Amino acid sequence: MTTVLLVEDDPNQLLLYTEMLKGEGYDVSGAKDGREALRMVEESRPDLVVMDISMPGMDGIEAMSRMLSKDHKLPVILNSAYATYKDNFRAWSADAYVVKSSDMAELKETIKRVLAQNSAESGG
Amino acid sequence: MRSDVAAQNTLVIVLGGGQGERLYPLTRDRTKPAVPFGGPYRIIDFTLSNCMNSGLRRVYVLTQYKSISLDRHLRLTWSCYHEELGEFVVSVPPQQRMGERWYLGTADAIFQNVYTLEQERPALVMILAGDHVYKMNYLDMIRFHSESEAEITVACSNVGIEEGRRFGVMEVDADNRIVAFEEKPGTPKALPGAPDRCLGSMGIYVFNTKTLVQLVSEDAKQDTSHDFGRDILPKVFARRRCYAFPFLAGREHSSYWRDIGTLDAFWQANMDLLGAPPKFDLFDPNWPTRTYHQQQPPAKVTFDEESELSGDVTNSIVSHGCVLSGCRVRDAVFSPGVRVAAEAEVVESVLMNGVSVGRGARVRRAIVDKHVHIPAGATLGIDHEKDKRNFKVTENGAVVVPKGIPSDPGFWGVGT
Repeated sequence: MTTVLLVEDDPNQLLLYTEMLKGEGYDVSGAKDGREALRMVEESRPDLVVMDISMPGMDGIEAMSRMLSKDHKLPVILNSAYATYKDNFRAWSADAYVVKSSDMAELKETIKRVLAQNSAESGG
Repeated sequence: MRSDVAAQNTLVIVLGGGQGERLYPLTRDRTKPAVPFGGPYRIIDFTLSNCMNSGLRRVYVLTQYKSISLDRHLRLTWSCYHEELGEFVVSVPPQQRMGERWYLGTADAIFQNVYTLEQERPALVMILAGDHVYKMNYLDMIRFHSESEAEITVACSNVGIEEGRRFGVMEVDADNRIVAFEEKPGTPKALPGAPDRCLGSMGIYVFNTKTLVQLVSEDAKQDTSHDFGRDILPKVFARRRCYAFPFLAGREHSSYWRDIGTLDAFWQANMDLLGAPPKFDLFDPNWPTRTYHQQQPPAKVTFDEESELSGDVTNSIVSHGCVLSGCRVRDAVFSPGVRVAAEAEVVESVLMNGVSVGRGARVRRAIVDKHVHIPAGATLGIDHEKDKRNFKVTENGAVVVPKGIPSDPGFWGVGT
């Protein structure tokens, strides 16, 4: 089963996204900030990371940079309530950037697209 | 874009981190751009002087290997800019923000410094090599880039087909848009009407900043060597607006351009400074080359009482602090503080700071690193078989003496 790591500091949103992604058939685990996410990725590499940006402790862009520095092929989608970070050059290392919305269709579609792209690139 | 505005909106990144293995042993203790050259200069001074003369005054030099000597030189020579006016030449050691490793290639060097670009947010980024000797008004290239509405502009030089195998070779259309790009091709594509020439990339680029960040971020996810010439340009020339800027276009300065890649190229480029007119002119009032000048007395040529010989110095560069006493010097480049004693002969050689040549010693076609003392009666470059026991002798027959060599006559085979 495809594994997705959700990084989200808001417990309600974490729950909401987890349920939504489980409904899509993914094996989902959750981390509440960048540091916890880094630990979890080290322990077990997920197929995809969906990362909030604005979080206490380590923010999502920093956490993504550190993850990519160890595993440059790890697919990461940035998922933020704000479009502001779209213009941040460091955010451009992400495979995609989704602005949070009550309609989750865009996130679902983006996850599918990024997974398909990465599986095509790795020849899988 | 007006020239001054173009210059202000351009951030320069000089790649100063190459290991320079082929310049070993000159790069044993220092990075290639810091290798002394042409008397008082270091190789990087030529690129940084081009920036200064072009009005580009926001310059980051990315360093990594053995950078102490380069850092010190940048501090002493290039801290003349005014930070408060937004001008700077700053050396940037690896920040390891995007990877706990050294730079893997030119594109990776930029990728690892995306944070710096984020802070500066320039419209354009100019990427330069820190190990070339040439004069170039970069503003011409920036203007060309803007006028062509290019995303990427690559400076190119018209080079011989054989030489082209060492470069990225491109083909262009009538507007100089790149229609083909191949890195180090086995059979370089010749220029129309000139079967023995091709267009070689000089490794000098202007990028729209956003294009640059997109490309290096994409490349960082691939298993490549992370090099602009090898991995990025061959992939993107078809889908991005990539243009070639001819180095010779509208030149007011000479067409001289050398990549100081090998010891022979280093030796030759030093020799190219000699003569009248020289191939590369250091005495050009319209294009000054800046460097660090340590306080030293002027150069002096003296008469040797003992041998009753006066110095015979021809066709040479003699820096301040040199004392040449009753010796014969021809076709030589001396950095500051070189001393040559009476009856000694130095021909076709490059002697770096503080080298001394003892009485009656003979030096031919040699590159001698800093503070080496060649004892009285020693020879260098006369008997290559003997030289090879202690030193590197290049393909073209230049003997290279590294720093820290003993000055004992026995080591030099004197009196044995």
